[in-house]
Amino acid sequence: MTITRREFIAGVGSITLLASPVFNVRAAGLQKRNLVIIMLRGGMDGLTAVPPRDKRLNSARPDILVKKTQKLTSDFDLHPSLETFHELWKAGQAGVVHATNIPYTKRSHFEGQNLMESGGHVPYGESTGWLGRGLEAAELGGLAISLPMPLLLRGKVVQDNFYPTHMSMPHKPELMTIAGSYPEGSALRKAMEKVISRPKSMMQQSNSNDAADLADTAATELARADGPRVAVFDLDGFDTHAAQGGDDGAHGEKLSDYDEIINRLRDGLGDAFDNTLILTLTEFGRKLDQNGGYGTEHGYGTAIMMAGGLVKQAIHADWPGLKSKELFEGQDLNATIDARAVYCSAMAACFDVDFAYMRKHTFWDEPLPDLTDALFKV
Amino acid sequence: MKRDFFRKVGFGIAPGESVPTDPLAWAQAQMDTVPDLSWKGDIPTGEALMDHYAHWVYTDRKVLRKKHKKDRKAYKAAKEQLRYKTGERFFENLELAIRHDAALNSGAPVFERLWFFWANHFAITDKDFMPEFTTGAYHRDVLRQHMTGSFVDLTKAATTSWAMIHNLDNSESIGPNSENGRRRRERGKVATVNENHARELMELHTVSPAAGYTQDDVIALSYVMAGWEHKHTKKRQECNPVHFNQRNHQPGTHTVLGKQYKQRGLNSSNKLLDAIEDLCAHPDCRRFIALKLCRHFICDQPTDAMMQPIILAWEDSDGDLPTVHKALLQVAWDYTGIEQKFQNPEVWFLQMVNMAGMAWPPSPKTMTYTFKNKPRRDQRKPESMLRELGLLPYRPPQPNGFSDMSSDWLSPELLIRRLAFSSESGTRISANLDFDALIDSNFDNADEIKAYLSPFTTRFGRAETLFPSYWMLMA
Repeated sequence: MTITRREFIAGVGSITLLASPVFNVRAAGLQKRNLVIIMLRGGMDGLTAVPPRDKRLNSARPDILVKKTQKLTSDFDLHPSLETFHELWKAGQAGVVHATNIPYTKRSHFEGQNLMESGGHVPYGESTGWLGRGLEAAELGGLAISLPMPLLLRGKVVQDNFYPTHMSMPHKPELMTIAGSYPEGSALRKAMEKVISRPKSMMQQSNSNDAADLADTAATELARADGPRVAVFDLDGFDTHAAQGGDDGAHGEKLSDYDEIINRLRDGLGDAFDNTLILTLTEFGRKLDQNGGYGTEHGYGTAIMMAGGLVKQAIHADWPGLKSKELFEGQDLNATIDARAVYCSAMAACFDVDFAYMRKHTFWDEPLPDLTDALFKV
Repeated sequence: MKRDFFRKVGFGIAPGESVPTDPLAWAQAQMDTVPDLSWKGDIPTGEALMDHYAHWVYTDRKVLRKKHKKDRKAYKAAKEQLRYKTGERFFENLELAIRHDAALNSGAPVFERLWFFWANHFAITDKDFMPEFTTGAYHRDVLRQHMTGSFVDLTKAATTSWAMIHNLDNSESIGPNSENGRRRRERGKVATVNENHARELMELHTVSPAAGYTQDDVIALSYVMAGWEHKHTKKRQECNPVHFNQRNHQPGTHTVLGKQYKQRGLNSSNKLLDAIEDLCAHPDCRRFIALKLCRHFICDQPTDAMMQPIILAWEDSDGDLPTVHKALLQVAWDYTGIEQKFQNPEVWFLQMVNMAGMAWPPSPKTMTYTFKNKPRRDQRKPESMLRELGLLPYRPPQPNGFSDMSSDWLSPELLIRRLAFSSESGTRISANLDFDALIDSNFDNADEIKAYLSPFTTRFGRAETLFPSYWMLMA
């Protein structure tokens, strides 16, 4: 297997050095660009979603090998459940960053998920999420497609969320009275202000909370010119310690849920899909070796799947290899790209702000490389 | 009088209920015995529910899928009938009715709040068909029954329960050097431990990451635990009791957090129980539990001053739960009126129902099921309602249970649910409900709340504005 160090890795250092503070100036007349984050909770296995062509994978996972793969490049294949993703890839609207992760190596779901959303280094050390901070810095609005507000979207500004209900609410005068009981400036008061100022399209009563149906709602809101710029989905169930399966099985089913969301977003967004970026986020990958229960244990490096018109078709990796001395702690695919560089670049691209500005306001000016040009068509 | 205390540690005061004159003593007196469940209808045993579960999974996986493998429609129809026959759509609703009836009617609401707490601490996630059949019984039989003993006994019971062993995959764990492990490897198969349960036992149930354990500690504890499993059989699938299987156990002495575990007696089952003793005696364990208790009942960011009396009570009593609970209640009492906690949706709902005297849960008569048809809408009300509120207690998505941080319960949509439920409650409360009396019994700032409600003269307007008000959401 010969996967070489991609050129952009060599290039980014200079871009970072050249970057100087640039203020939040948005190019006039640019079309609205949308950023969608799909959180895959439980530890999405990059080696199942986008398996490298490497014999070591076959011997490490004899019972859970993905066989009916779809071809991406001479070095990487795609899981058969990711049908929409494959169509997008062929249309030049999908890409992958592989052997990547957030800088967290301790294998706890809860610490890992907290850090993937906060973007920090100390579990539970931040009360805001990187996307919440990014939206604040760019003065934009986001929408979570879930009942609770994910940490990812939290910031000083309260963002909106959506989840269908069939129940009806009090009328506006009562809402104003109730809001009056909440202390000025409290999170409760801010949430209430969001409720009071909702667009009609978000007040329609509905019952379905199927992830794919929720994607339709997200698409409607994102497609509106004055709608939110960001949507966040939450998918769990990737923690496949048992019965992970290869072509079929638990991991494949979850990937297929993800695939259906991007399918619905593509259909629902219509032309706006060309100005959209859909990225996955997970807390870690899974160990190379299968365990005794035809599953895998918590690992480290994984893949980020990227879909949408703003994505360049490529697999970006500084591939570390699967020989035992190349594995992280002798067990896991290593991570050679800080996933936060991908997210910071995505925000810079979608929010029309300079990368360095975004990095300063969301990731404390840590030395993350600018991957905007390498990954996205902007 | 600190009337907010009744909501801080309980479900408030119901219409016509006399207000205890010594609230702290009233609360602490509830800690010494396990109250009987107040539900007057049928309470199925854990074994009976496991039989239903076994029937459901065996018939679905081994009979229907084969029989209808070429006809998806016929398979779906047959599976739907099987749901009714086994109670797959019913038992979760019954368990919720039993749980809510206890909260409202057992006579020991503070005990019930702590029951909710421990059920969430030793959380069983939404996996396989556990919420549909067995999680409620695990809360009743395993956790509730151990709440008047020591924390270590509660932990041993939870850790070795079928629910936890299955939920955290310990039956999939095979010591690589165990008898079965060696045999598997000789045949070219993989034999490794499953780290899931060992990791959560330390991280979530006992010492927390503050103890500084390493990946080596996690693996060593997985070795200690290997062999604690349930059989997987054709007829009952995963529904078989937990036992210790020496043939899957990793032999030898294992070191976890600097302590060694070796076999005493005829088999190695003692190693896990010995390890749990040490984990529960670890200083980071009592600190972690004190933090979680304070975070649930007092405020999001508990101080050392809040946690210290609980930690001391733990040290003096070797983790005796009634003693620890009473220390917590003393701290909650001391901080009533000083610190307020945002109430989670289920607790808030039960407080509303209790304080307004609404009919809830559905009656035992309503919850009588024939196992022939789809449960009626009124029989499915507990589940559909809690799903709408955003907290299904038998379905935490992850093993760390539901959060106790206010920010995790605060979003525009979650607020909309509180508003909608309050709005709907007007139609469910008595026309004679005395709002002034409700406010006098339950709030320390009664005058302020009465002034706030004064523009609203109907019970609809009053319910709709009182229940989502700041003072009701916080306690």
